[in-house]
Amino acid sequence: MNPRYRRILEFILDNLVWFMLLAVLVIFSATIPHYFQIGIFANIVEQSSVLGVMAIGLALVIISGHMDLSVESVAALSAMVTGILFCSAGIGLGIQFTPAWMAVPVSLLGGILVGGLIGALNGYLVVKVKMSAFIVTLAAFIWVRGLVVAVSGGRSAQDLAPAIRWLGIQRLAGVPLTAWVAILCFVGFSFVMAKTRFGRHLIMIGGNEAAAFRAGIKVDRILMLAFVLAGATAALAGWLLAIRTSGATANLGTGMLFNAFAAVVIGGVSLKGGVGALPGVYAGVLLLSSINTAINLMGLPAHYTQVIHGLLVLAAVLLDTAKHSIRQRLA
Amino acid sequence: MTEPLLVLDNIKKSYGAIEALKGISFSIGKGEVVALLGDNGAGKSTLVKIIAGGLAPSSGKMVFEGKPFQAKSPSEAKEAGIETVYQDLSLCTNVDVVANFFMGRELTRSVLGIPVLDERRMEAQVAEALASAGTRIPSLRTKVEHLSGGQRQAIELNRFVHWGGKLVLLDEPFAALGVEQTRRGLEMIRHVASQGIGVVIITHIMQQAFQVADRIVVIRQGVVAGDVARKDTSPDAVIAMITGESLTGAGSAG
Repeated sequence: MNPRYRRILEFILDNLVWFMLLAVLVIFSATIPHYFQIGIFANIVEQSSVLGVMAIGLALVIISGHMDLSVESVAALSAMVTGILFCSAGIGLGIQFTPAWMAVPVSLLGGILVGGLIGALNGYLVVKVKMSAFIVTLAAFIWVRGLVVAVSGGRSAQDLAPAIRWLGIQRLAGVPLTAWVAILCFVGFSFVMAKTRFGRHLIMIGGNEAAAFRAGIKVDRILMLAFVLAGATAALAGWLLAIRTSGATANLGTGMLFNAFAAVVIGGVSLKGGVGALPGVYAGVLLLSSINTAINLMGLPAHYTQVIHGLLVLAAVLLDTAKHSIRQRLA
Repeated sequence: MTEPLLVLDNIKKSYGAIEALKGISFSIGKGEVVALLGDNGAGKSTLVKIIAGGLAPSSGKMVFEGKPFQAKSPSEAKEAGIETVYQDLSLCTNVDVVANFFMGRELTRSVLGIPVLDERRMEAQVAEALASAGTRIPSLRTKVEHLSGGQRQAIELNRFVHWGGKLVLLDEPFAALGVEQTRRGLEMIRHVASQGIGVVIITHIMQQAFQVADRIVVIRQGVVAGDVARKDTSPDAVIAMITGESLTGAGSAG
């Protein structure tokens, strides 16, 4: 096989999910009336921001060969903390700063700190106590959601401080600033995964933890950091969610975990660990929200989204198997 | 014998009531190749893991280059100059040849103050190292999972030759290699030793031990059952030591 053909084929295989996204957008634009509009595409990007940021942290942990089921609940807790502190109605305390914009960094740091701490606890139990990540984070999924309900008393906070809301309203190139936060996160974390030693080591740990340890890689420290990052990005996602909904409810974000898993798998990350890249995950998130938008525009009942998401996950896994066998023939 | 590089003094390791090592003492000189022989379960791999920092001994002392030494982790052993090639391959098959070669030692260059992986420089060094060892791999950017067992083991062997260090531990390094590659591997070991690096090689194949080793150490039931220069012994005598038929130099039956 000549090297040029081989390189093209490898490029297509590596970026398959982007081609799928492109194909889906072209098909929808051609067949669904009013789909082809800048506003619709901006909306797709906007809709992807919360799920996208959550999927980043989840992808990091899955690539390292573990799992984090707690991201959804951590996001809800972070949203609730932001809501309680900076909402002026419902259970909100309505804390105010002078200047008012100080509320943005304070709420952001507060949320991320809470998420990072839960991530650190998960990481400690998995890495040091050697418990199964599935069990540890399943427990966190339950107790963190319980905490959200407990601190809110089951009630909600509304009317988020305008200084924070501004991020969700102000647009740059037609897309709200909150969506830019998600895009920046993807660019930043993609860089870290592809170009730095931390990213390389994380992938190697996912591939063969024993080999990485024997090669002198500080496996414990890197895994710990991955869990902390998963908690912190989930918290960032929760903060964005609070901005989008201008407040927080006790059941905010329920069901997002499965969408995040779907996006990660569709994006080409293997649940066995060691395989996957973040740009693909972003494409996976965009693909999901493109389909949601199409279903909305066609006026189908929203329940169909769930059916389609499920089938999409199956298709992604099947595709992954096909990709693997093509690669084997290439080598 | 040349001056000792590593001295093991009464190393013991027990798992609960089971004593895997019952007091191992021997030494390795600079530039010396020691073949470590013994039956399955004799404790060879346990011993190698203790030296390499992967396991802590229950008791006993090690002296490396004249100083007391006890690596708490493989990274500490590596810093001290001890390289290890394990019997189950220590490669990450999900990344490419270059990444495996530089595992844990990636080269970086600074871009705006951020250390970024220097892929080009790493690839050039790997290409050079593999070429000088006569190993041919079609593309260094191929993921290791798509390579054959022999190619994988060649990468591991080239990796330790490249990084060198002061002491190399090889735990059955030729299990997946063909005849020609094994011959080249044995040559590599002699080449490494000629640079003053100590080599400990675990093998099951008597012929390999006699081809490459200066000294043969036999472990049986967790004790040193024999420690002889190659030229003073014969395969039959060594087999007798392994199976315990001969009493010369045999430890307590435990």
